[in-house]
Amino acid sequence: MDGDWDEVARVPFPPPGVHALPTQVTTMTFDTTQELLWAGNDYGRVTSFLSSELQQHTSFKAHQATDGPVRQILTNSKGVVVLGSKDVHMANRRGPPIWHLRHDDMKDLRCMSFTSKGTAEIIAAGLQDSMFVIDLIKGEVVKQVRTEHQYSIMKRGRYICAATRNGSVDLLDPVTFAVVKTWNAHSALINDMDAQHDFIVTCGYSLRQGQNYMLDPFLNVFDIRKMASMPPIPFPAGAAYVRMHPRMLTTSIVVSQSGQMHVVDLMNPNTSNVRQANVLSYLSMFEIAPSGEAMALTDAECLIHLWGSPSKLHFVDLPAPVEFATPEEAIHQLDWTPESPLNSVGLPYYRQVLASSWPELPSDVGAPPVKFDTQFLASLKPTDFALYGRNMRGLRRNQLEDTRSVHKSANSGLKAPKFLSEKARDLAKSESSSAGDK
Amino acid sequence: ALNSELFRELENGRIARLMMKLGTVNERQEFEGDRAWSENGERYMLKLFRDYVFHQVDSNGNPVMDIGHMIRCLNKLDAGVDERICLTSRDEQTSFVVSYKELKKQLVNAFNELIKAAKPG
Repeated sequence: MDGDWDEVARVPFPPPGVHALPTQVTTMTFDTTQELLWAGNDYGRVTSFLSSELQQHTSFKAHQATDGPVRQILTNSKGVVVLGSKDVHMANRRGPPIWHLRHDDMKDLRCMSFTSKGTAEIIAAGLQDSMFVIDLIKGEVVKQVRTEHQYSIMKRGRYICAATRNGSVDLLDPVTFAVVKTWNAHSALINDMDAQHDFIVTCGYSLRQGQNYMLDPFLNVFDIRKMASMPPIPFPAGAAYVRMHPRMLTTSIVVSQSGQMHVVDLMNPNTSNVRQANVLSYLSMFEIAPSGEAMALTDAECLIHLWGSPSKLHFVDLPAPVEFATPEEAIHQLDWTPESPLNSVGLPYYRQVLASSWPELPSDVGAPPVKFDTQFLASLKPTDFALYGRNMRGLRRNQLEDTRSVHKSANSGLKAPKFLSEKARDLAKSESSSAGDK
Repeated sequence: ALNSELFRELENGRIARLMMKLGTVNERQEFEGDRAWSENGERYMLKLFRDYVFHQVDSNGNPVMDIGHMIRCLNKLDAGVDERICLTSRDEQTSFVVSYKELKKQLVNAFNELIKAAKPG
């Protein structure tokens, strides 16, 4: 972390309604291709924040508020994948949905990870006995995998590192999803975990005096090459959150709940760079951008803090442009009069079939109006604006009525003379309808 | 003169047909509870587009009745241009950036679904 790193922006996560209070961030992630930070809340809402000002960009609901918090967000070239407890939603970065997956066996999903197939496939797991392998291009469940362990955090390193509820980490093969190795990282539970190249780092709790959960005053490190744990790295303030630096392969950043940040080299733990984040409450989450040039922290007061060097801050190294609404071109004002033709506004250039093209459908334009039953009319109460009352006509609301034939039978007492062709048609009709009755 | 009169009427017909399509599709009771029309469904944008075109307001929240805006939007939808607009939900919590091309696709899909459901004859 450079000397000039500081807090550059601080924004609240928007409230669920116009007069409501801001909401806690339940998960956040930096976009891997655009200058966006994605965050989710307890109401199933996902919002993207733009570059160093964290200006609100797009926002959408990944699932209903009743389905609980947004658990995790991943991004790939096509869009963002949002994990809820009971569903997986994929949306375009601009907001419109791409697909939505729900499955009866999705009961309490908590985490997901990309698999061996780059960013085209994920595995989703949780506090339940099955995991789902999902093809992100088709938006389909490819496979359901039974699991003995229930997972709360997943990170994709060389293996899929999956944290269980009892403080251990399973290393899953990214092709077969079989457990290759189990590492007992903490005695009670794991609070945060990251994995990169050769290392897995964890922060966790142990039970003190058999009743209080206390954050362990150290960071645990596992060496994947040697398949063995390394000596823990001391962090007296209580290690709550940890991320590996995406560029400096042996460097990790550890944060305490009160905002103390240490930049530690795992190979040389004695030299560390210390910073203090300005938080009034306690921190609830910590994330680092793919460029390593920005960090985001969230706190219990629903604020997102962005840290970085004010001059160099960026999220991704070669960002794809963020897609905004097309700027309105200057339009010449038209003076609308009752005579102005509608075609004074031109149709843009087009090559495909227009949306207004109407298919060949039969349409009845000359039918007589519906005649209301006198009994029905009598049941209505008159007011100065309309007659009203219950629908007693034995018809659905807005049901089509064949007024042509109704008209005929109603006038059966006084038949108008018919042409021969009409008589022949009527005969044919009655024959076909009686044939249909049999 | 006759030609320009004819063109005018042709144009009116096109806009009328497009509005009829929007009318048949939007707010149908049988779509209530259908996930595609819910707040995270792909058809939700068509509802927000209707508001964008017909329920425009000024900075004080007063209605703006600009037939030019309405026809411009409808024409762009008809042609399905690549231009992107920002659609915002009534509670202002949801904002989508969406192209007319995507909106047109949704409208055509929704309308075709209705045609399929309609009983022939």
